[in-house]
Amino acid sequence: MSAKILICDDDEGILDLVDIVLAEEGFQTIPEVNSLNVAGVIDREHPDLILLDLWMPVLSGDQVLKSLRDNPATKALPVIVISASTDGKAIAMNAGATDFMAKPFDLDELVGKVRQHLSQQ
Amino acid sequence: MSDEKKNTADHIVSKDVELLKKALDASISGIIITDNNQPDNPIIYCNAAFEQITGYSRAEIIGHNCRFLQKDDRNQPARAQLRQDIAAGNNSVIEIRNYRKDGTLFWNELNVSPIKNSSGAVDYFIGVQNDVTRRKNAEEELKSNQSKLEQRVAERTQSLRENEEYLASIVQTVRESLIVLSPDYKVIFVNDHFKRTFKVSREETEGRSLFDLGNGQWDIAELRRLLEQILPTNNPVIDFEVSHDFPHIGKKLMLLNAHRIELEGQYKDRILLAIEDITERRAIEQRKDDFLSIASHELKTPLTTVKGHVQIINRLTAQSGDEKLKNAVSKTSLYVERLNNLISELLDVSRIQSGSIELHKQPFDFDQMVKEAADSIRQATNSHEITISGATDSQFNGDESHISQVITNLLSNAVKYSPEAQQVKLHLSTVGDYLKVAVTDQGVGISRDEHQKVFERFYRVKNIQQRFPGMGIGLYVCAEIIKNHGGTLWVESEPGKGATFSFTLPLDQAEGAADVR
Repeated sequence: MSAKILICDDDEGILDLVDIVLAEEGFQTIPEVNSLNVAGVIDREHPDLILLDLWMPVLSGDQVLKSLRDNPATKALPVIVISASTDGKAIAMNAGATDFMAKPFDLDELVGKVRQHLSQQ
Repeated sequence: MSDEKKNTADHIVSKDVELLKKALDASISGIIITDNNQPDNPIIYCNAAFEQITGYSRAEIIGHNCRFLQKDDRNQPARAQLRQDIAAGNNSVIEIRNYRKDGTLFWNELNVSPIKNSSGAVDYFIGVQNDVTRRKNAEEELKSNQSKLEQRVAERTQSLRENEEYLASIVQTVRESLIVLSPDYKVIFVNDHFKRTFKVSREETEGRSLFDLGNGQWDIAELRRLLEQILPTNNPVIDFEVSHDFPHIGKKLMLLNAHRIELEGQYKDRILLAIEDITERRAIEQRKDDFLSIASHELKTPLTTVKGHVQIINRLTAQSGDEKLKNAVSKTSLYVERLNNLISELLDVSRIQSGSIELHKQPFDFDQMVKEAADSIRQATNSHEITISGATDSQFNGDESHISQVITNLLSNAVKYSPEAQQVKLHLSTVGDYLKVAVTDQGVGISRDEHQKVFERFYRVKNIQQRFPGMGIGLYVCAEIIKNHGGTLWVESEPGKGATFSFTLPLDQAEGAADVR
């Protein structure tokens, strides 16, 4: 049974790219463009890992992350933040991210990090 | 009277006259007698001193009216005085300009006494004259000096007044607020710009204590600290930042220069306070930073997708093995990377300018970092050989990623600007308390007048844009990074003879260079 990965990014291009790459690697992917839906998707799908963008309208990535860390059910869920923002890393780690990747990222780095954090669970 | 008696009497008189004549000739004053009963009042006697003073001989004097002594200088007020006194039969004392036979001027202090007969008519005048030229000249000189002095004082006063008005007009024209304070912080003067910026009148400010102005709205803790604690021991104080929320005009960010007058004199210990309102400037800087930050984010997002898909194509072509396609894809990757670097550089410039670049200092192996940076350039170029000589053997305490960016930039510049050369040299050394890195190429070189300018932002060496495109940012960022670490970056070069870019970094930031190894 392959791992289930939730990808949340407001940019369809990134969402599509990550979906293609991870699906190719044999993961089950759940692309989500609206950060407001993340909590519902987690409840329904129980993903093993989340790839999360930071700058998103209405509900930002760090807000999503904080609410996940406040919830006992998702407290330990691996969340890799991906952002093009220069101060993204500091914001992400501060909000409780498991790891951080700067955009533009390398596909091998993406797959590597996903595998690494899944295996550490 | 018998003849004999008369002869004796005549003899006695003639002897007395001879004696008197001798006495008169012995006088240093010139003496003349004129006969008022003869036409034109001629001179009938003159003594030896008169001849000496005037330079005329007796034969030239006797029978003439006195006026020949004035030559053409007839309009002297003293003559009118003399005429008036003589007409009234009075003694007259005047000072008159006379001229010697040779034409030279002498001042004559003339004392004229009328000799009256028993009926009261004037028979003779006796004139006694003294040459007072020296005294007169001294007096004249004194008078002239005095008037010159007065004129100079007037000129100086005028010049001071003009100077004051000139300086005041400068003070009123500057687009910066200026306050002059007494040593006990009373406002002596405010310029127009201050009144406009802080919406106050001169009456509301001058003569009052700075801290009492506008119901105490200038009683700012930071301002007190500046005036009461810092300025007395650090004069002048430059660029002291004070932020304050004023009741009517709102929050202001101010940059203050304070200068206490140390010159002895009436202005000693006065305080000059120049206030630059940087509220707007800071807001604009912030907006610009925000804009660049957003722009960079928005540019990088689609770039991420492009880069990812290029990487996917790259994997697919690796299997299909079409060389032309592989080549095209690899060039696409290269330029995607370049675009990404340009976006990062733009953001770097923005952050350096607003001073918000963060240094994450940590000791690192300097030589190892240089080696890795060189490796990354070697991967990107197969046209040049990059050689490293020397060593610093140092653990340097600084921001490794920033310094690595400098090395990478200098190496890639060296490759880029020497398309016809095959070698780039990097030399490492320690010089005194500094480590030194020198990157030498055999490229196009830089003329002397541009050695400073290449480190300015957006500066591009003349006529180079077409052959070597770029934004003129890289070296500016490098210089700023080195400066932020306490070092200097410079270039030595001549056109056509290559260039050596060197930088130094202070080793006191290195934590125990010897004991880590």
